This record gives sequence, structure tokens and C-alpha cells, in this order.
Amino acid sequence: MNTKLVLTALTSLIGTAVFAADAPPVGSAAPDFSLPDANGKTHSLSQYKGKYVVLEWFNPQCPFVKKHYGGGNMQNLQKEFTDKGVVWLTIDSNAPGTEGNLTPEDAQKIATSWKTHETALLLDPEGNAGRAYGAKNTPNMVIINPEGKLIYRGAIDSKATPNPSDIPSSTNYVKAALDQSLSGKSVSTPETKPYGCSVKYKSS
Amino acid sequence: MLPNLMRIASRQSVYSLLCWLLVAVAPHGLAQNYQGKQLVKAELLADTTAIVADKPFTVGLLLRMAPGWHTYWKFSGDAGLPTEMKWKLPPGWKVGDIQWPIPLKTVDPGDIETYGYENEVLLMQEITPPSKIDDSSAKLSTEANWLVCEKICIPGGATLQLDLPVASTSQPANTDVFARYRRLLPQNLAGPDVARADWSRVGSDLRLKITGETLAKYPAVDFFPLPEQETIVGHPAVQSRNNNEIVFRIPLESAPKNLSSLAGLVVFAQQPNGDDRAAWQITSAPGVSASRPAPSRGIFTFLLFGFLGGIILNLMPCVLPVISLKIFGFVQQAGQSRQKIFRSGIAFTIGIFAWFIALAVLLIALKGAGRDVTWGGFQFTNPYFVLALSVIVLVFALNLFGVFEISLPQPVTRNLLSTSERKDLLGSFFQGVFATVLATPCTAPFLGTALGFAFTQSAAIILAMFIAIAAGMSAPYLLLSAQPAWLRFLPRPGPWMLHVKQFMGFLLLATLLFLLYVVGAQRGLEGAIWASCFLLVISVACWMKGAFVVPTASAVKRIVVLVLMLLLVIGSGLYFIGDKFQSAKIASLDSQIRGDWQPFTPERLQTELEQGRTVFVDFTAAWCLTCKFNEASVLEAQDVREAFQRHGIVKLKADWTNGDPVITKLLQKFGRPGVPLYVLYPAKNEEPIVFPELLTKSMILDKLETVARRVASNRAALR
Repeated sequence: MNTKLVLTALTSLIGTAVFAADAPPVGSAAPDFSLPDANGKTHSLSQYKGKYVVLEWFNPQCPFVKKHYGGGNMQNLQKEFTDKGVVWLTIDSNAPGTEGNLTPEDAQKIATSWKTHETALLLDPEGNAGRAYGAKNTPNMVIINPEGKLIYRGAIDSKATPNPSDIPSSTNYVKAALDQSLSGKSVSTPETKPYGCSVKYKSS
Repeated sequence: MLPNLMRIASRQSVYSLLCWLLVAVAPHGLAQNYQGKQLVKAELLADTTAIVADKPFTVGLLLRMAPGWHTYWKFSGDAGLPTEMKWKLPPGWKVGDIQWPIPLKTVDPGDIETYGYENEVLLMQEITPPSKIDDSSAKLSTEANWLVCEKICIPGGATLQLDLPVASTSQPANTDVFARYRRLLPQNLAGPDVARADWSRVGSDLRLKITGETLAKYPAVDFFPLPEQETIVGHPAVQSRNNNEIVFRIPLESAPKNLSSLAGLVVFAQQPNGDDRAAWQITSAPGVSASRPAPSRGIFTFLLFGFLGGIILNLMPCVLPVISLKIFGFVQQAGQSRQKIFRSGIAFTIGIFAWFIALAVLLIALKGAGRDVTWGGFQFTNPYFVLALSVIVLVFALNLFGVFEISLPQPVTRNLLSTSERKDLLGSFFQGVFATVLATPCTAPFLGTALGFAFTQSAAIILAMFIAIAAGMSAPYLLLSAQPAWLRFLPRPGPWMLHVKQFMGFLLLATLLFLLYVVGAQRGLEGAIWASCFLLVISVACWMKGAFVVPTASAVKRIVVLVLMLLLVIGSGLYFIGDKFQSAKIASLDSQIRGDWQPFTPERLQTELEQGRTVFVDFTAAWCLTCKFNEASVLEAQDVREAFQRHGIVKLKADWTNGDPVITKLLQKFGRPGVPLYVLYPAKNEEPIVFPELLTKSMILDKLETVARRVASNRAALR
């Protein structure tokens, strides 16, 4: 018993209280989610098992998002890879009442007027999918392989600015990761720090 | 595209697009407007009235933000961008880095942490003019870019110009504002007599320990990281704190393998984000470069932990039987010559070292092969290892009962030592090995931390770590055998020793029961029975050795008996172990779970949390004595069980007896090389709480109480 007391004292001295990290790391299984799209149709990640899936966190008000949509950079990327059979899910995790939160009508309009090419624009006003992935920015990019494992998470490209003129001179990490995976190679840059606006989550 | 935008995304976006085009030259400040409201006013100031050749002065970009809006620090955190300045200076002029005042930390829903400034900030830079200036005045211009955010973010920018006369003397200018922000600049970490920073790396976390008396005066202490480009940090959190010592845990989401420290600020104040805030600047240690190991101080601290852990291992329940053996050995030796005792102590020590070094080499090899390596686990999750251990324990016990005498094969050292001593020494050596084998499943608290550290390190450090543990474990014996005078406190040898010896045999049989219990947990009742059958045959073989292989027997008889023994052991081994034992399986996992515990799966945990329940997970294994002890004395105690029930907490048991890889991953996530591990998940989206490896009732009861109360009040707030 004495031994136990001593050990307990020593243990509390060095303090072993640790906390788990929130976001699933690259290489781990992608958390499943089910969300409605702008037309009310439900999409779940599990239904796309066997395909590459891109998750893109979205906020049409955010200058960093506009940087990539304004000149068609994001649309081109979406078109290129959805044509190759990749599933592209754009997700809006902004809470109702915040900038960037889309009603289904807003979402339909923006998809039409911005001429986007995603597989589906999903609405996540509760922020559950966003929190499950630890998505903190718009844009925040995640790539999932056909086995359902995360193979990339982070920024869309290498230049953290809101300035569209930086796009030509930056490295697009998402394109690189998809090109490498589709040709059977491993992803050379699997994790980067995303940049952009914060996702405006509902307070919990 | 513009009209479309206007239609759908309200007019604001158009304004923001316009705002970001808004870049103009202004001598005395420039405003960034948005929806008719001034968001940021930018101004360039100097701390001098005139420029004097070769005399450095400071300029500052003063940003005044509208209430509720903020711009960002050098490291903006989870979102945002730092403010930038690009200078256009005449040739020969030099400009220093931005001096960033201590920022404020903001936490938004979704656990988004950012670092920035509200209301006003002055970003200072030192400018050094050349030694000779021909003009009578100088125009210094900078292009500043920032991101200003409230609920939305809007980029802003301005080209600002400073026009200053060139003179032979100058007066200070703008003294108030410069003084205000110089006070908010971080200080270099004061000398070691005032404060100290110690870094260590534990798995994918960095630990920063700050020691200094100043800390005691400030209730709010935080660490603001300044990571390098290739490093992605999680959120630093205070892990433990007492009067003049604070430990931060800094999770690394992605970082170079050998990263051992980070630059950053240790910020202290009376309250978080207080105006009185001050900070120490921590620079990353120079040992970060690829070729060099972690800072030596960190390693020595951990080696010390290893050493202390080794000493503590002697007290762990699984080692006690062997320790009693050794103490008995000392009693026996008390009458012998000093030299002999010392040599025996050395042999025992070498035994301990041999096993630990062998373990280290094995670990390094496994690690190199990319396998998941865990302490104790990779031995005790293997039923054949446990079985082999059972055989050794049984043979030792039979030896103590006097069923047979151990005669060892001809050693190489034969010519160096007398026959009887040779036997003693080898005996001591194997006792050392044996004590250590039994000790490995006991993850002593210190050892857990030290090994967690070691597993992330290079081969040399792993080896050093194990040697430190071996040194700690053997230290008491080495000391006793070097100073046999202390042995006189032990009783004199006599006939009672035979009884003690036999009694120790029973202790070993008790250990054997425990090992069979482990086998049973791994291979079921059938497995345990087959293992026992094999053990019975081993006993018979030992008895044959004791009864017939004696010096008085003829050589032929001895050889015949030995061959028979061998056949018996091999035959029964093939039958009981190779066939029956191997195919024995546990009937069902559920039979392992008793009472109000439920089997753990990650999905189960998720579902319970989704349903708003608080969950306690007991990571345990049948072979883990510490786990059994905690379960019996704390978790299964009446009042603790009642507390779990009262607060409606779901209890899950994660059984690691067979080394389930999913559980292995989770253990690693918590930075633990093995079980026990106790985790309380208060609610969805809340950080889990980890308990120490040795539980006390009050520890559990207190935590359950506070968590239950907090969860209840959170729920009430949501309604």
C-alpha cells in the first residue's frame, strides 16, 4: 500500500494527463458522414467507397475561396478530376446566421452562377462533418482513397494569400496528390497547413 | 461574374472585392472602408524627428481596427494571415524584422484558435540609414498588406510613405505610442537563475517545461507557438502546473521526425489576454538540425527517469518472487568472502543488463522493420512467451523444492573459477535475466514516460534508455554486494534457510498460477489445461533428473535417462503445445467481460458519445498485474461502482490481452507504450481525460463528480 502511495505521488508529479488530438491524421480511416445537397438529396461518404473522394470546405463570402473561384481555378480542378471519376464533395459547415452559410436555394444559385463542377455541394449547418475532420479553414482540402483512408489534408496550394495573381506561381497540392495517387504513386506532400478564413461553426 | 455575385452573395462581397483593390499612396494614413464603415486605418510612424546618418531608428505601422475586428500575429493560428510589409528603400538602407507585440488569443466555435490584435497595434521595424546621406530628406515607403476579420475576413492594403528630414541630430518622436508597444514586446528568456525552459518530445507531442519563480505571480500562463513552415502544430495546452513550474503539451500534427523544440512565446498575465501581459521569447533549440539528436538535457532527464523506473521495478508485484529469491541468496552468501559476494552481485547485474540489451536490440530491429512496438505488449500478448515463462517458473520452483539440482553445461570460464563458484555465478546471472523477464510487463509510471520518449528516438537512445533502466534495477543489489557489511542486518544462515527456500518455491507457484490465468485469457480454459499438461510432463522430467541423473549413477544410466527426458519433453511439447494448445481458442470474447462492463470498440464509443453519454474506457490485459490491482482496489470498489451508476457513465473495457491492433493504435495516440490506460470521455467534442497508471478512489470519484456536473450544466445551457 505504501508503495502504491509513493508511486501515485510520483505519477502525479510528472503529470500524465494527456488529451487526444481531434482531427483524423493522414493514413487513418476517414470518418463517415451523411449530408443533404442543395437539392435535398442525401450523400454519405460510405456510398463512395471504392473511389477517390475530395472534400472541399467552402464559404462563398471568404476572400480565400473567391481567390480560387474568381478566375476559375477551383472549377477547372473540379472538372478535371470529376471527369477522371473522382468524387468531389464541396461542404459548407458555416452555421446559420454566419457569413457563408448557404440555404439550399443559395447553394443552387451559387453553383449555377459560379459554374462549379463538384459532384455535390453539401450543407452541414450543424458543423458535424466539419468537426469530424477538424476542418478549420475555407478552403480546407481532404483527399480520401478508394480504401477510405485519408491520403491528403491541408491547403489547396502553396501560397497562403488572398491574391489570385499568386495562383500561377504556386504548387497545387490537391492536383499533385490526385495526379500521384491516380498514377499509382504515393503522395509526396500528404499534409500541409491549410490557410484561409475560419469555418464559422455553431457554438456548442 | 460580378452581377451574379451581387445577386446571390449579397452586396458585401462586392465591397470586399473593391476593398482589396483599394491601394493608394497616402502620407498620413489610409483607411480601409467597408459598407461605409472604416475598418482599418493605417499609418506609418517614426520614433525620431529626423534621420541621422548611420544611426538606427524605428518605424512602426500603426493599424487601428474598428471594434470587433482584428488583424493577425506573425503566426495567425488556425485561420487568418499575418500582416506583411514590403519596403522600398534607397540603396544602402537596411531594415530589420518586424517586432511583433504579444498578441491576443481568440478561441472560436469549432476549436479554432487564432492569434491577433484588436483595436490597435504598432508593428515596429528598425531601419539603419547608410553612413553618408546626400539628400536633405529621405522618402521611405512600404507596401503593407493585412487581413482584417470579424465574422468575415477582408484583405486590406496600403502603400504608405514616410518623409523625414536628414539632420546631424534628432529628437524622439511619437514617444507615447512607441513606448506603449515596446512594453508589449516579448523579452528574451531571462537567465537560468530566473527561468528555465526544458523541451522534450513524447511521441507526437512536444513538452515544454518552464521553471521560474516569476510564474507563481501570474494565474494565466500560455504558450503561443511560432512553428517553422514544415511544422503543423495543434493547440498547446497546460498539462500540469504547480507554484513555479508549468508544463505545456504541444501536439504536433505534422513535423520533422527529429523536431525537439519550437520557437514561441510564454505569455503570462493576471488573466488571459490581460493588458498587463508579458512574454518570454523561446527560440527553438539549435539541436533541431537533421544530423543532431534531441537536446542533451532532455535525454538525461529521461535517462534519469529510466534509472528511477528501474529501481521502482523491483517493487512491482510481478518481480517480487524473484526479489525474495535474491534476498535469500544474500542471506546465504552472508558468510562467504567479500569477493565472492561481489562477483555474484556482478553476475546478477550482468544478467539484468543482458536481458535489457537483448530487448533493446529486438525493439530496434522491430522498429526498423516498421512494426508497431509496444512495451510488454509484444512479449505478453504472445501466448508462447507466457508459456515459456511458465516453464521457467515451474522449473525454478521445483529446484527450490529440492526435486533436482541445477547443473549447468560446461562454461567457458571453467579454468578461471572454482567449480562451485562457477555454478553460483551462472545461477546469479540467470536470476538476473529471470527477474528482468518477469519485470517487463510492469510498466512502472516513470518507465511509461521514459519509454514513450525512447520509442520515438534513434537506436542509440533506445539502447541508452534500456541500459539506464537496467542500471536502476540492478543498483540496489550491486550496492549490497559491494558493501556486504550491510548484509549483517540480515539474519544468520541456518537450517531455517531450507524452509525459506521451499517457501519461496510456493511463491513461484503462485506466479505460475498467474501466468496460467494469462494463458487462459488468451487461449481459453482448454488452452490453459493443455499448457498444464505440458507443465506436468516437465515436472516429471525434472523429477527424473533429480532421482536418476546423480553422480552415483553410471554414465550409461545417466545418458539413458537424459534421452528419455528429452523424448518426453519433445513428445509432449509436440502433442500438447504444437497441436492442442495451438488450436485452442477462446470460446467468445463476451465471456471475458463481467458485471456492468461492455466490450470496447471505437464504433461503440462513438455511438455512446453521439447519444450524449459520458464514457469511461479501461484499457487492460489479462497479464497486466497493475491493471488487476487497479480494477480490484478502485474500479470494482462498491462506492466507485455506485458513482459510475449514479452519473450514468458507460463503462467500456478494451482488452489488449492478445495485442488487438486497433487498441494498440489508440494506446499510441495517447502516448502510451502499454496498458494500463484509463480514459474518461466527458462528451462528444470534448477532450478526453486521462488518468495516471495507478488509480486511487478519490481521483476517480472527484473526476466523475466534476465532469458529471459540467456536462449537466452544459446540457442545461443548450436547452
